Amino acid sequence: MKTMFRAIALAASAAVLAGAPALAQKKGGTLTVGLELDIPGFDPLKVGVYDTSQNIAAALLLETLVKLDENGKAAPGLAASWSHSDDFKTWTFKLRPDVKFHDGTPFNAAAVKWNFDRQKDPKNNCRCAFYIAGTLAVEAPDDLTVVYKLKDPAVNFPVLLSRPDQNSTIHSPSAIQAKGDDYNRNLVGTGPFVLKSWTAGDRMVVERNPTYWDKDKISLDRVVLRPLPDSQSRFASLKSGETDLLWADEFEADNIERARKDPALQVLTYAGSGAAVSLFNTKVEPFDDVRVRQALVMALDRKKMSMAITNGLSRPASNPYGDGSWVKCKDDGALPEDPKKAAALIKEYGKPVKFKMLFTATPRGRANGQVLQQLWKNVGAEMEIEQVDQATIPARAFQRKFDVTPWRIVDFPDPDVQMFANFYSKSPLNLASFTNADLDKALEAARMTADEAKRTEAYCEASRLINQNATWFFTFQNTYYAMAKAKVKGVPKLYGGVIDVSHAWLE
Amino acid sequence: MAKFIGRRLLYLLPVLLAVTLLTFLIASLLPGDLAITLLGDQATPEKVEALRAQMGLDLPIWQRYLLWLWDVLHGDLGRSFRTGETVLAAVADRLPVSLELMVMAEVTALLIAIPLAILCAVKSGSATDRFLTGLAFGKLSLPPFMVAILLIYLFAVSLNLLPATGWIPFAEDPIANLRSFVLPALTLAIAEWPVLMRVLRSDMIATLQEDYIAMAKAKGLRPARILLVHALKPSSLTLVTVTGINIGRLIGGALIVEVIFALPGIGRLLVGAIYARDFIILQGAVLFVAVGFVMVNFVVDMLYAVLDPRIRHGRA
Repeated sequence: MKTMFRAIALAASAAVLAGAPALAQKKGGTLTVGLELDIPGFDPLKVGVYDTSQNIAAALLLETLVKLDENGKAAPGLAASWSHSDDFKTWTFKLRPDVKFHDGTPFNAAAVKWNFDRQKDPKNNCRCAFYIAGTLAVEAPDDLTVVYKLKDPAVNFPVLLSRPDQNSTIHSPSAIQAKGDDYNRNLVGTGPFVLKSWTAGDRMVVERNPTYWDKDKISLDRVVLRPLPDSQSRFASLKSGETDLLWADEFEADNIERARKDPALQVLTYAGSGAAVSLFNTKVEPFDDVRVRQALVMALDRKKMSMAITNGLSRPASNPYGDGSWVKCKDDGALPEDPKKAAALIKEYGKPVKFKMLFTATPRGRANGQVLQQLWKNVGAEMEIEQVDQATIPARAFQRKFDVTPWRIVDFPDPDVQMFANFYSKSPLNLASFTNADLDKALEAARMTADEAKRTEAYCEASRLINQNATWFFTFQNTYYAMAKAKVKGVPKLYGGVIDVSHAWLE
Repeated sequence: MAKFIGRRLLYLLPVLLAVTLLTFLIASLLPGDLAITLLGDQATPEKVEALRAQMGLDLPIWQRYLLWLWDVLHGDLGRSFRTGETVLAAVADRLPVSLELMVMAEVTALLIAIPLAILCAVKSGSATDRFLTGLAFGKLSLPPFMVAILLIYLFAVSLNLLPATGWIPFAEDPIANLRSFVLPALTLAIAEWPVLMRVLRSDMIATLQEDYIAMAKAKGLRPARILLVHALKPSSLTLVTVTGINIGRLIGGALIVEVIFALPGIGRLLVGAIYARDFIILQGAVLFVAVGFVMVNFVVDMLYAVLDPRIRHGRA
């Protein structure tokens, strides 16, 4: 009797434990999210690339074949399973059979292929095509099978389809064809929420999709997305209860600190992979000399820079991967921060070190420039700030018309795409124009095996080579923020800065 | 009167032409290249050249201006390359918000300024007068963005009486609509009333010295009647001018206020277009605002004539 009682008690407590999150998950309610920017639309051909505001909306309305689980690994989305060829160049996805677009048309392999082909078509001149350059073709051998043919092997390809961005979200082909120019602001997807109304510049209202294939996991009735461009009034709207959750970044450090101290609020933080970086054009003087490059990197004082720019919130970076990546290096080869040694190297170089660095034409760009200017001046190098329009930076970088340019390594679930593009000698995006056989070998090794330990080893070797040659330097890791009322629950990690509130609930 | 209006309209033409030219030049001189913005990360030099040619960006600037003017005269202000919206639709969507904001702000400012100005004029030189003119002077040096944040913290965060941000369409909920405009309109009105008060006060003091006011007093008219009927109208000429000019300042102020309070008006459209390098929306919206400003001044000129018959007979 006693044992039986214990068994029941155990079973009951186990049930409570297992059931606890489900029980707490209250159904219903409206969540109001404050974003920074207006959403221009969703048609990839029109808007080209989604920014964070669009990603956040897309996570509600649209879906991707693959999702990321809490460990950053691939989990089923619109695709139920997948397999790959031995050379990792062909990936076959089996689609979920029970999915319909919001307009009632079926989601199938043909729809996936249609979305891809439309972006890839050179006639459409889509800015989005750049990001699918590595995929040669998408085939739809039957209704529920999609085959991706890749140019290069990609051992971790499924995770690359997980971001709710312009390329990976699947739109309804019939809606795009029917609505033409108007589709941009009248999107139709398969997501857990359906677009209800949208007032440009004011608010977008989405309501729960009653026929969603996984509808039991969705709690909220409605989500309202509001662009609130001013950071102070955005924060005030959270305090006064007009919004429940806000997008934030480390440039509003004061508000983040205040929210952390407020028991009615919470701060969601995600330490992503990747980093804010800069790179030298190694084909121009004085950066053809490794001593100059090393000196400028050693002259950095990331703590001071972080204090000056974000009140100390920015996390210093010393490699391309960061804390959010599964690549963890015992030794990433980072050069020491050593202004004395830096000054000595500049002296050893002998000639005056004078150059220009590109910055965005924003107050933030100027602030960044002035901090670097000062640090470099201290070791005897003279940097001139050249402020240009945001869109000009990639254009100048691709034409190699720069001495030093800022860049960013985005928080991707796998480092391969960006590492290979940025650092492989023959890559068209090898912007530093630096060639090194050992580095190439390490990058090749990292993409030929799915074994994480071997890949980590190869990537750490790559990091050491990059740091020792000081062709690129890493300033701050990517950190993403959201501020919310304490009652908002169930927001997953902010992968790539995307706040996905589709599965959130209000306590 | 018709002849007067006709003459004024004729003066308007060169002004409007200059406005379009300036608008076009400003948009063209902004840093950045539309073709590069459009092509983004795949902006190879060849592609940029091809797109520039396709969009006519390689033509000389005067030729582009004439082509643009031709389209504008035909009612075609172009289409945003980001949203696909036409400029006319984008402006028409947001205009009611900005107009309501400006009318509410101007009315609030006048409601504050007129009684205070009359009070100061009647008691000119008194402690009240000196206090109010001093306050007005102090207020002139407090910028609207500062006032806006203070108002938000007081009325939205601390007292929780009014919304800090946002806008509800009038058709949906008139009360909520008006509530959402209280703080933004007050912010602008707080910036505007000192100017209005000061001009009305000094004109009113001058008017009150006139013989006919002494005559009215002698006739035994009630002071309120003298002030509001006999003195206010002839004293308000400068007030009307300043109110007109202020509409221009209000458009500028509305830019900041609409961003802070997240109102979907013309100001927000402009700021958004600047950040996104949406030159076509930018050019169109600036043109619209500039033409609006010119038209307001035209209406102010007309109002003069109504207020002061000497002007419409060309004797002033």
